[in-house]
Parts: sequence; structure tokens; C-alpha cells
Amino acid sequence: MVIFGASGDLTQRKLMPALYSLALRRLLPEEFGLVGVARTEETDDGFRARMEAAVREHARDEFRQETWEGLAEGMSYIAADFSDEEGQNALAERLTKLDEERGTAGNRVYYLAVPPSAMSTIIRELGERRQAQGWTRLIIEKPFGHDLASARALNTQLAQHFGEPEIFRIDHYLGKETVQNMLALRFANGIFEPIWNRQFIDHVEITVAESIGVGARAGFYEQAGAVRDIFQNHLLQLVALTAMEPPIDFTADSVRNEKVKVLRSLHTPGPKSVVRGQYGHGWIEGEEVPGYRDEPDVSPDSTTDTYLAAKLYVDNWRWADTPFYVRTGKRLPRRDTTISIQFQRAPHPPFEEMSSDGLRPNVLNVHIQPDEGVSLAIGAKVPGQGMSIRSVNMDFLYGGAFRTGLPEAYERLILDCLLGDATLFTRADEVDEQWQLVDAIVAAWQRDRPSFPNYAAGTWGPSSADELIERDTREWRHH
Amino acid sequence: MEAPLTSAASTVEEWTGHGVDVGSIERRLVALRESVEAETEGPDLRTSVMTHMAWVPPDWLQAATETLAGLAERHPSRTILLVPEPDAGDDRLDAELSMRCFPLPGQGHHVCSEVIELHLRGKRAVAPGSIVEPLLVADLPVFLRWRGEPPFAAPPFAQLVDVAGRLVVDSGEWSDLPAAYGELTAFFDRVAVSDIAWSRGLGWRRSLAALWPAIKAVEELRVAGPLADALLLACWLRSRLGRQIELVHEDCEELELVAVDGEPARVPNEEPRKASDLLSEELDNFGRDPVYEAAVSVAR
Repeated sequence: MVIFGASGDLTQRKLMPALYSLALRRLLPEEFGLVGVARTEETDDGFRARMEAAVREHARDEFRQETWEGLAEGMSYIAADFSDEEGQNALAERLTKLDEERGTAGNRVYYLAVPPSAMSTIIRELGERRQAQGWTRLIIEKPFGHDLASARALNTQLAQHFGEPEIFRIDHYLGKETVQNMLALRFANGIFEPIWNRQFIDHVEITVAESIGVGARAGFYEQAGAVRDIFQNHLLQLVALTAMEPPIDFTADSVRNEKVKVLRSLHTPGPKSVVRGQYGHGWIEGEEVPGYRDEPDVSPDSTTDTYLAAKLYVDNWRWADTPFYVRTGKRLPRRDTTISIQFQRAPHPPFEEMSSDGLRPNVLNVHIQPDEGVSLAIGAKVPGQGMSIRSVNMDFLYGGAFRTGLPEAYERLILDCLLGDATLFTRADEVDEQWQLVDAIVAAWQRDRPSFPNYAAGTWGPSSADELIERDTREWRHH
Repeated sequence: MEAPLTSAASTVEEWTGHGVDVGSIERRLVALRESVEAETEGPDLRTSVMTHMAWVPPDWLQAATETLAGLAERHPSRTILLVPEPDAGDDRLDAELSMRCFPLPGQGHHVCSEVIELHLRGKRAVAPGSIVEPLLVADLPVFLRWRGEPPFAAPPFAQLVDVAGRLVVDSGEWSDLPAAYGELTAFFDRVAVSDIAWSRGLGWRRSLAALWPAIKAVEELRVAGPLADALLLACWLRSRLGRQIELVHEDCEELELVAVDGEPARVPNEEPRKASDLLSEELDNFGRDPVYEAAVSVAR
């Protein structure tokens, strides 16, 4: 495996710990070798030492010297700018050496954890230099393009050198256990699917909330905003998994065919159905935090969106007229990613009004982070005299049920790539559909200048987001 | 009164941390839960009915802890005790976590309650709403028990009211009566309010209601008991009858006597309820109480 962008945060926090966990469980082939590539000057030993520290700090498993040494033995580093020929030659030589020494047989996984500006050169050079021996796979980190045109250009360039089964566009949300459990919940249980439609479901809410600010990502975020950072990929993937029809099997194409149908069915929301926001100064976890415009490397008059809420419709037989309310934002009060399915109220509860004050509609919550699990809110009688009813939550927590650590999303996705299984990766046509929707939303934003900031850090977003859902006499779920 | 299921927790897991952040508290809670489940061979299915927040200045901590001890079994929940220490001299968050599980007779399962005691030191007491929000059990009602007289105009009170669905106070703990009732009424449209002093007076209100229709002519109500209880009884009558009634108050620790125009009303035939029983009853209520609100509204 070659990681481009090996000096970056992602490699240290996610990729290396994931590889270590896979090695610990003997899920990596014995021949596995890793080459880190980045412009930062560093020796092989320095790279290994930095990666060891990263594993010790970020891996979910305890550190075992023996496992680490086995992994580190096949690790090396190339300090190079891949746009020059010298760097390309150095990598080619190193890979040939790995083939000889470790028997990697020309099999390559290239992990492109680099900014979009560096993507094109790497793809072209890898494509032109690819060998006949062994297989080649590319894992491509988001953002996959900046808009529909750039995404299409990238897809076209990829297609010139690689077949679609060789391209693994990563959206790490799809590697999360609970996201995959959405498929198990829906299609492995007989009780949900018959009521998973407009007749029984009042609406769907999907929240991807972050309490962190922009941090050190201002350079990227100023260009992307919430709409490209989260909505275009994670949020739309969650919508697709929630709304898709049952695939005929769990192969990559069957699952992705169904997801594409949902994305294609998404009704482009009008301006009144989309709310954008940007956080101002406020409080998070008891600490005072600056507004977005006061963050380092952010323009003081930035109009970048750090919050987005939208009402979407899936125009098909199953979901016609059933709204999907989605929202994402930074500096919200808590980190929380949840898909909430709110069912219709019981048609005629035969109880006195006062006795059911505490009763809410049935809600099935699929918690994706931080506590992965599923909860179902049901009405239950309060023990004692009379008939007082209130909502209680039945919680299913993954950690409690299976008593085994959940794999990190990157573990699952890297392993799937090594095995050649692209089910949990995004296909070119999915990306295309996602960008079409985003371009339509962003185009409407060009016509006005928002009044930012419009929500305080530590709150649930601008008041216009509440109005968006309250217009339909509904409300965002309680937290 | 609801009977407790058992007399004592069979499993208690605890953790203490100084200078912690909310993320580490969340992780420790998960670890505690898993630890309990490993010991008890369950419950894999956890049942919660609410988040119960309590604002507990240090002087009230002991009373609050005692009340909680009798509460956990009846309301499987997450309790967050917020202990403000603004003058602590440093700015940090200290946490004590505990998980108490009670066996269900004849079953292999347990009912578990989590208690998170947070000491908000220095500036960490300024914005408590932002600390508790990440710790609320999602999608369940949030109750706020405010110990002592709320500083109605202070941001911490408003912040916590805004994350709660129901505010539980005991106006018997207040010193600025009846003026404080006037400030409370301003919150009726923001949050449903329960007053434990109001609950304590239920038996006496029934006794007075039993005097209908003669009580329509009442001119003077004499009450021997705490000031809050006396005011609430008098104001209840004023709001129901729609006219002024003279209150003659004699201060006592408990409600001992209520007399209508000199004639003692029947003493309620009920056992005095413990603090945990009174709070427990309030935690079963969700909607606004228009009769209470009307009574308080004429107390100013």
C-alpha cells in the first residue's frame, strides 16, 4: 500500500491505527508492505517512529511490540513531490524492491489522502506507469471534486487509466458498523420493511452534528463549507441507505444500483427548503469559543456555511410526500449522528388527554456516533393506579450486545479494498448525482449575501432551521 | 406511593476524574455500562425514561444525594447533578460517575440508573447549559430540579430551563416570598413547572374543596405551616374564587393547621411523604399545571 499524504493528520489518526488493528487480527497478508509518500523530509526510521507514536495514541487496541515490529518491517518513506519525475522514479524503485523482498507480486493499493489540487498528477502518473503484473486499486479520499464539473473531470481522468472496479471512492461513514446495520435492520428483520414507507412513516430526520469548530482545516473548509464537507457525501449517503429499495444481493453493484436510484429520485429543494448558517461566538462544554470568522486562517467577512438544513423529498412510490429533514453543522451542542424514523401517531388513542401528556410518537433512532446502537421510543403505562402513559426508550447498544470492540470504519474499508469488495465505496454515478443536487443548492446561494453569523456556537443552528420544520408542524428531535 | 423494587443496589460501578472534558465522561459512562453488563450478564436492553438534571449548590448537596437514593429504582434514568463552585479558584470540571443497578425479582435483568455529579469550578459554572447538552439522553424528557431559590435573571438558570421540558422547584426553599412567585410566572410559557410545596399541600386542598359550597364565602384563611405552603393554599383559593382572601400565617416547619374563618379544616388522612416520594411524583408529570400557574399568578 502506498499512502500519498503520509505526513498528514488522517494517516496518523486513522489509517495507521487501522492498519495496526488489522495486523493485530492477522487480517493483513504476510507480504503486506507500506510506503508513505509526502513532501515533508523524513527518514524511514523517522517515519516508523512517528507512526508508532500514532498507533500508541490513536489505536483502539493495546500496543503489542511484536505486532508493531512485524508491520514496521515492511514500512518505508519517500520524501518527494510526486509531480517531479525523480519522486515517481523513487517510488517505482521502492515498489519493485518490495515485490522482490516481500513478494507483493505487483499488487498495489494507492491511498490518495491528498488535496484535490494534487490528485490529477498522481492519477495520471500512476495510470501511465501501471504494470501488467498484479492488481492495482486506488482509494480516493474526499472531497471528490468541488462541484459537478470537477467531479466529472476527475472521473473521466480516472476512467482513462483505471476500470471502475479498481476505483474506491471512500466515504468513511459507510464503514461504520451502525451504517451497515441500517441494512441489516431493514432487510434482515421482517417487522420493519412492511412499515418502511409513506403509509406508516411521518417523516425522517438525519442529523450530523459536530461540536468541534473548523480547527486546523480552515484552508479546506473556507472553500468547501458544510454543504461540500458533509452534505454532499455523508448526509446524502445516509439518506440513500435509509430510503433505498432492497437490493437483490449484497454485491457492490446491487447495493450501489439501489442507492443511485434514491439519489436520482431526490427532488431538488427550492431555496425555501434549504437553510444555511455560520456560527458566531458562544459556549461549548463550558468553554468560550470564537465565532467562525475569528478562527485562524478564516476571512473576517467569510460567507462560508458551517451549517446546513434542508427538506428533501424522494420522489418515488415508497416515499412520495414524506419529507426527509437533514441537518449538519459545526459547533452544535453535541457530537451526534443519528437517523430518526418518526412513525405516524396512533390514530385514536383511547386515553384521556392528560394521561398521555408524556407520550410522543414512536421513533426509531439509529445512532451512528458517538454511541453506536438503535433505540425505539414506545409508549408505556406508568406503573400504579390509573392509566398514565409516557414514552420510554428501548436501547440496543452495540458494545453491550456483542461484547466486542467495534472496528473503526477505516479498518473495514481498507480491508474491503484489499479484498476487492467495493460495496461500501461510492461509485462514479453516485458521486455525479450527489454533485448535481449540491450544485443546484449552491447556485441559489449565488444570488444573495447571507447575514452571517446567524447562530451562536453551542446552539442547534439558526432560528430559520427551526422555522423550516415548524412550518410543517413538526420539530427537530430532542437531544 | 410507588414501592421500591428492592432495598439496595446489587451492583455499583464508580469513577472519579478531575479536570475532565465531556468526551471523557461519555467514554467512561460507556465503560461503566459495559462493566456492569459483564458482571450481571445483562441488561443488554437498557431502559431509560428521562434525564434528570439537578442544580445543587454545595450547601444542598447532601439533601439532594439523600433524595436521589430513594429515587433511582423508580425512575431508571440518567441523573446529572450540577454543583456550581464559581469561587473555586481554578476553572475546571470534576466528575464523579456511578452506575447503580437493581435486580428485578425473578428475572435475570437489572434496572440501572446513572448518576453524573459534575463540579463546575470557576468559569465552568458560567455556561452549564453547554456542559449538560452533550450528556442528555437523546429523545427523552429532561427534568430540571433547581435546589434553592433560582436566580431568575442569571444566565445559568435560563440556559438550563431552555434544555429542560419541566422545571421542578420547592418554593419552600425560597426566602424571597411572595415576590419570587412573580418572577417564576415569567417562565410558565417557556417550561412546565412543578413545585414540591404545591404537592405537599394536596391533602389540605382536598380538605378545603370538601367544604364546597360553604367555602365560597370564606373571608380569612389561617395557616400554621411554612410560608410557601400557606401562600400557595391562600392563592389557590383566591384564584379559584376570583377574589381576595385574607391570609393569617403562623410559621411552622410543617403544615399543621388550616382554618377557614376560624373553623379548623379536616386534617388530611395521609402519611407525610418523603422528599424522594414527592420528587418522584413530579417526575411522572409532563404537561403544564394550569391550576398551579393560576395560583402563583395571584401571589405577587
